[in-house]
Amino acid sequence: MDRRKFADLSLKTGIAAAVVSAIPGIITLKGRTRATATQVVAEGDRLVFAVGANANQPITAGSFAQNEAVLAYPEGKSDNHENLVVVCKLNPAMLKPPTHMDGAADGIVAYSAICTHLGCTVRFSEEPMDMAPFPHIHCPCHSALFDPHRGGTVMGGPAPRPLPQLPIRRNDKGEIIVAGPFTDAVGVRV
Amino acid sequence: MSLGTWLDERLGLERFRAKYLGKPFPLHPSFFLGEIALFCFIVLVGTGLYLALFYEPSIETVTSGGVTGPAAYVSALLIDGHPLGILIRRIHHWAAHLMIASVALHLLRIYFTAAYRKPREPNWVLGLVLLVGSIGTSFAGYLLPYDQFSVTATAIGYGILRSAPWIGGTLADFFFAGQFPSPSTVPRFYSYHVVFAPVLLSALIGAHLLLVFKQKHTELPHSVLPPAGADERAISGVPLWPGQTVLMAVLFLLLLAALSLLSALLPVHPSALYGPPQPVTPEVKPDWYLMWVYGALKMIPGTLSFRLPGATIGSEAIGAMILPGLIGLVVLLVPWLDRAPASARYAEHPLRSPARLGFGLAGLMLLGVFSLAGFSAELHLSVPVLWVLALVAPAVVGWGSYTYASRRSAADPSHPRRNG
Repeated sequence: MDRRKFADLSLKTGIAAAVVSAIPGIITLKGRTRATATQVVAEGDRLVFAVGANANQPITAGSFAQNEAVLAYPEGKSDNHENLVVVCKLNPAMLKPPTHMDGAADGIVAYSAICTHLGCTVRFSEEPMDMAPFPHIHCPCHSALFDPHRGGTVMGGPAPRPLPQLPIRRNDKGEIIVAGPFTDAVGVRV
Repeated sequence: MSLGTWLDERLGLERFRAKYLGKPFPLHPSFFLGEIALFCFIVLVGTGLYLALFYEPSIETVTSGGVTGPAAYVSALLIDGHPLGILIRRIHHWAAHLMIASVALHLLRIYFTAAYRKPREPNWVLGLVLLVGSIGTSFAGYLLPYDQFSVTATAIGYGILRSAPWIGGTLADFFFAGQFPSPSTVPRFYSYHVVFAPVLLSALIGAHLLLVFKQKHTELPHSVLPPAGADERAISGVPLWPGQTVLMAVLFLLLLAALSLLSALLPVHPSALYGPPQPVTPEVKPDWYLMWVYGALKMIPGTLSFRLPGATIGSEAIGAMILPGLIGLVVLLVPWLDRAPASARYAEHPLRSPARLGFGLAGLMLLGVFSLAGFSAELHLSVPVLWVLALVAPAVVGWGSYTYASRRSAADPSHPRRNG
């Protein structure tokens, strides 16, 4: 092997070694695992107001009228944004499949408030509009429309899948209690 | 011994002066767009250095100046509460808008005069990277005041990256330092915005300028031909010293004046008005340069998706990655798509090539319709109407400008120099 070839080979070996040794460094660059990621919603959690003057106060069936909704967190688990739910009080007669009927109580249903399109917080709206002449859920970011009467199915706009439902029940104090896990993965599909 | 002589003996200034100070610079105002972008970058670095003295890249809850909230938000409010601070922050914001606008207009000037042709393809690519880099840097800067608007915009960016097939989740968590909103994202974006981006942009701007220096600017089609026997590589223009230097100084001062005036009269990104981050998403629209992506996202129906083994490409990936990616790819490949015989020396009159004019204006029209879709609710435009507009309007504009330019060039036989 002549000098030139040796120098060339050394250089290439050096570059290859540098690239290979950089890989573990890059892999360990990922963000810290948050303590809050362990705040998973569980059966028996009590739903509390997420915003407003009553924040962190328990929500009861009497907290809101028919065709109203509130944003809620499972109590003590507000650090995990994916736990945010919109609790809607609807006309019980209008609730239809694929709504998880066992997870609804007297027209009260809870859905993940994280839009399945790009993760904005959805809004409940009582005002009828062309595509939804009844109370509905829409996303202020890219105008996704969901039907809370039919299991959060997509009525229009860019959302690729329904809002996951969070089954709930009421306890003897009228408070709203989580009755099971979300029916599907929350937020933007990975 | 004068200072000049002292320096000259050590640094060879006389040779530098003889070699470079006479370098000709173009005089047409459209050639100032790149310079305006460069000056905006300089203003951004200067004002950024000031803001970095007061900004705190953390979301830890603090109380200061009577406000309790995330440290980043509170420090942004403190900057806004200071008379010089708010002026500097607004100048920073306005300079970012102006930089992106002048880079975009600069790109249009290069496109419509065919100045991307051989040998200038590498600088076309570099310029496009600079445009994307400027937008990326602005996006990273969005998050820093950590108000309601910032968090919404960044969350959408996180969602977009997350929707990439197979590696979306890993990629998003990698670039956003964990699942957004994560306490690590603000410090990470701060380092992107104030270290990575300025260093990379400076290096790319340097390379861009070196290439212009080496390859020289294009001359206007009606420039005077060099006299017979003259150096063939010689080009016309004003010399770097003194003519161009005075022009640049005037331009820089005018830019500073314009930025100060804009900042004094028009508030940008009023963090106090948006308020600290909350679970509720406000009605927000992106800045003008991302309006077309925002509009396209509204126009792609949720039912549109492709199943791949182990992944699904849904409406969000199509609207925010595939569509802008394809448009970007076409722009990137412009020098290779244009097969017309080219002059390395002269810029072309925009009407000389009807096809280029037509495609360019049709493309702009398409971006215009996508941007219009960003205002669909306000304008009561339904998605089907927008899709018809997106197909018809660019076709009409493209065909119309093509026909107009064809007739013009038929009536005006080509000048021999224009095709070199």
